[in-house]
Amino acid sequence: MLDEAKRGRFERLVLPHLDAAYGLARWLMRDTTQAEDAVQEAYLRAYRFFGTFRGEDARPWILGVVRNACYSLLARERRAGPPAQAFDEEVHGEEALAAGTVVRFPVDPEAAAIQRAEREQLQACLSALPGEYREAIVLRELHGCSYREIAQIVDVPIGTVMSRLARARKLLQRSLSAQMQDRGTGT
Amino acid sequence: MSCKDNAKLLDGYLDGELDLPAALALEDHLQSCGQCKAALERLRALRSALRRHAVLEAAPDALRKRVAAQFAPRRRGGLGWGWGLALATPGMMALVLVAWLVLAGTQPPAAGPATRIVYHISSTATARDALRNLGNHLNATPHAKVIVVAHNEGVNFLLRGARDASGEAFEPAVESFIGRGVEFRVCFNTLERRGLGGGQVIPAAKLVPSGIAEIGRLQTEEGYAYMRL
Repeated sequence: MLDEAKRGRFERLVLPHLDAAYGLARWLMRDTTQAEDAVQEAYLRAYRFFGTFRGEDARPWILGVVRNACYSLLARERRAGPPAQAFDEEVHGEEALAAGTVVRFPVDPEAAAIQRAEREQLQACLSALPGEYREAIVLRELHGCSYREIAQIVDVPIGTVMSRLARARKLLQRSLSAQMQDRGTGT
Repeated sequence: MSCKDNAKLLDGYLDGELDLPAALALEDHLQSCGQCKAALERLRALRSALRRHAVLEAAPDALRKRVAAQFAPRRRGGLGWGWGLALATPGMMALVLVAWLVLAGTQPPAAGPATRIVYHISSTATARDALRNLGNHLNATPHAKVIVVAHNEGVNFLLRGARDASGEAFEPAVESFIGRGVEFRVCFNTLERRGLGGGQVIPAAKLVPSGIAEIGRLQTEEGYAYMRL
């Protein structure tokens, strides 16, 4: 019966966040099949450790488990350790990233230009962000998490969340304006 | 405070994470500093572009079923509903549906407990088809109790002013089905995720906290059969 109670509580508190969980995994893994695997694994792990969960809002908790599952899956794949630092040219597209790294991009795009950013460009730029910045943006802007929640999910101090977000937005602005210029000059 | 210090606070300000004194001080600074103001504008533009274009993809139904199956209660030692669903391929489901429609069409309506079916609609594209099927369904078995649960993209046809691809409004059809005893339930999680309020849903439809939980509950607690359309 204890098991029944646990299952019921899990179903009520954790299962409803499946979309949020998959959405995060999708951005972290950048691949649908891998995202599905990560989420399934995360839910199994979450159920196993559900006893350690306290409170009523399981969303940050399950997102933390999902994030973990994503990174361990990635680590298992590439022996290269945490994926956060890797800059993925493949995803970014040659023309956009010909310069090689984000830091060499021209600075300060106009607000209006960013607003015109096409879906594709924006997704490519976000997708190309290093993992630690990508996850910060996704959690803040798409999941609507507070700094405190992000700190809990990512397991870093709140100050780090703030500086990562600021850095992430700078990187995004730069790569977006670089893309715009590319398009603008008619390559 | 220098602009450089303030620049670091802009993100916190944008996110509503500054404490009150810091936020007020920054607002004072923004009054007089065009540079910081422009920087904040750019952050706002970026945010709105992100919210418009970068979306959270909803979990695919196959995954939903797989995960739900992991936690489904086992019944009398047999496979739970969840397992049944997880094993059922769309093809199988279609076969079952066809077989069932054929049977329903050829046999007189059986006496006894009414058939209870929950229709799961999770995409806009299939909504019109689903309603047509629902019509056929009710013609074949007028006493069937049908609850339509809309979730993900499937909620669109129950929003105010919704029209199908050919421009025909959904609401009259929905209301006529309600007149025939059908209920429409909309997933509130979906609405929240998409920044929609309950007010945007046509009044004839009801809100439920979670479409998926509702579908699960109808199956396990009220004996509804599941149909995905």
